[in-house]
Amino acid sequence: MKALKKEGLGWRIARDLVILLGLLMILVPLYVVIVNTFKDLEEASKSFFALPQSLNFQNYVELFNKNDFWNYVKNSTYISVISIVIVIIINPAVSYAIARNFTKRYYKAVYFYIILGLFIPFQVIMLPVTKIMTNMNLLNPNGLILLYAALSLSKGVFMFVNYINSLPYEIEEAARIDGCNTFQVYTKIVLHLLGPMLATLVVMDALWFWNDFQLPLMILNKSPEYWTLPLFQYNFKSEYSFNYTMAFTAYFMCMFPVLIVYAIGQKYIISGLTAGAVKS
Amino acid sequence: MKKSRRESTADKLTNLLFTLPAVILYTIFFIYAVFVGINYSFTDWDGIGKTYSYIGFTNYINLFQNQFFWSSMGITLKYALMLVVGVMSVSLVLALSLNSIKRLKTLTKSIFFVPAMIGGVTIALIFDQIYYRLLPSVGEAFGISWLMQSPLASTQTALPAVVFVNVWQAVAMPTLIFIAGLQSVPQDLYESAMLDGATVFNRFRYITFPYLMPTFTINLVLAIKSGITSFDYAYALTAGGPSRSTTVIGILIYNDAFNNMKFSQANAEAVILFILIALLSLLQIKISSKGGVNQV
Repeated sequence: MKALKKEGLGWRIARDLVILLGLLMILVPLYVVIVNTFKDLEEASKSFFALPQSLNFQNYVELFNKNDFWNYVKNSTYISVISIVIVIIINPAVSYAIARNFTKRYYKAVYFYIILGLFIPFQVIMLPVTKIMTNMNLLNPNGLILLYAALSLSKGVFMFVNYINSLPYEIEEAARIDGCNTFQVYTKIVLHLLGPMLATLVVMDALWFWNDFQLPLMILNKSPEYWTLPLFQYNFKSEYSFNYTMAFTAYFMCMFPVLIVYAIGQKYIISGLTAGAVKS
Repeated sequence: MKKSRRESTADKLTNLLFTLPAVILYTIFFIYAVFVGINYSFTDWDGIGKTYSYIGFTNYINLFQNQFFWSSMGITLKYALMLVVGVMSVSLVLALSLNSIKRLKTLTKSIFFVPAMIGGVTIALIFDQIYYRLLPSVGEAFGISWLMQSPLASTQTALPAVVFVNVWQAVAMPTLIFIAGLQSVPQDLYESAMLDGATVFNRFRYITFPYLMPTFTINLVLAIKSGITSFDYAYALTAGGPSRSTTVIGILIYNDAFNNMKFSQANAEAVILFILIALLSLLQIKISSKGGVNQV
C-alpha cells in the first residue's frame, strides 16, 4: 500500500509492533499448550514456559489408551459428518425451490417462515428442545444431528436464495429446452453452479458442529458413551484439574484435526467463512 | 422470475418435495420448540414433575422483582459492552495493520485466523490453566499483588478475564471482514487526498471510514448478538461464579432450568431475551438499510 509507505517510519514501526504483539498473544497460549503436553507434572511445575527436556509421549500414550477417547473422536466425527451431509442436501434444495418459485404464495411463505429463525436466539429453544427430545427418545447423536439440520436452515436458506437469484437463468432454460426436468436441471446444472456457496456452508457448519458445546451439553451430557470431544474436554476438567499436562494433551488432541485441515485448506476456509459472515 | 414454459405436474411435485424435509425439520425442532417454550413460561412446571398448572404471567411478574434476574441482565450488558469494544477496536486496528504489510502477509493473516478454528470450550479451558498457573507466577516474580491469584477467583476481575478469552477468539472473523472492506477502497482516492494535503486522520475519517461502514455494521451486530447470547466461555471458565459475578443470562437460564428446579421461570427468562434480540435485529435492519458506501 503506497499510502502508508509515505507516512514514514513512525507509522510503520507502530504497525509492526501491533502485529508482533498480536502474534505473541495468539502463539504464546498455543506454545504453552504444546510444550506442556511433552512434560510430566514435575517438569511442568519447574518450568511452565521452557521447552521440554525430551520428547516424552507419556501423556499421549495415556490419553490414547483410555479407550473412551477414541469413542469421543468417533462420536464427534459421526455427528459432524452426517450433519454436514444432511445440511448440504436440504439447504440448497429448499433454496432452489424457493428462488425459482418466489412468485408463488407457498414458496414465498416458506422463505419468510425459515428466515424468521434468524431473529430467534438459541436460548429460547434450548430448554423446550431438551424436553421434546426426551419425549421423542432422541437424547442421542441422531437427535443432535436432526437439531443441527433444523438449526442450519435459517442462515443457509438466506445465503442460498440470494445466491441462486444472482445466477443466470439462461443455462437452466437451455437445459429445459433440451428436455431436462426440474430434478435433472437441479442435479446436473444448478448444484455445480452452487459450488462456492456450498463450500462456504460446509466450512461454516463443519466448524460449528465439531466445536459446538452448548447443544451437546443439553442433548448428550447425561450419557458419557455419547460425549463429543468438547463435552469430553469439559468433563475432563473436573477429572484432571490437578493433572494439567494431561489436560493440555487432551485439549491439544481435540484441536489438532481442525488445525491440520486448516493448514491444508486455509485459503478456502478463510474465504468461505468471510463470505458466510458477510452474507448473513 | 422468468417462466417461459408451463410446468409439468412432476416438476411442481419436485419443487414441493424439495421444500418438505426442510419445512418438517424446521417446524418440529425449531418453531414448535419456540411455542413449547413460550407455553412453559406460563406454567409453574419445575421441569421434572408429572403435572403442572397454568399461572398466567406470574413468572414474568416475579422476574421483574427478582434481583438475580436484574443483576444477570446487568452482567450480560456489561459483558456485551466489553466484548463489543474489545472486538471492534482490536479487529479494526489489526485489519488496518495487516492490510498494509507487504512481507509474509498471507502467513500472518493465516496465523491471526487460527483462533477462529478452535472451539470456545477448548480455548476457555486453556486460558483457565494459564490464569491459574501462569499469571500468579508472573505476579509473584514482579511483586504485583492483584496478579498473585487467578483473575477468575475475584469478583472484581472475573468478568473482564472471561471477556478477554472471548475477545481472543472472536477477533479473527471481524478482522478478516474489515480487511475485505478495506480492499474495496479505491486507492486513487488516497493519492488525490494526499496531494491535497489531507492528514492521516482526515483520510481515515473521510475516505476509509465511509467505505468501511457496511462492514462496520456487520461486525457490530455480530459482536452485540454474540455478547448478549454468550455462554461457553463463562460456563467453562467460572460456571457463573465467583458469587454470581459472571452469571450472564445464558448461564442463568441454564442453571434455573436444570439446577434450580425453576424450569418454567427459566423459559420466561429466555422469552425476555428473545424479545430483546428481536428488537435488536429490527434495529439492525433499520440501520444497515442506510449509510455508508455499499460495497460488500
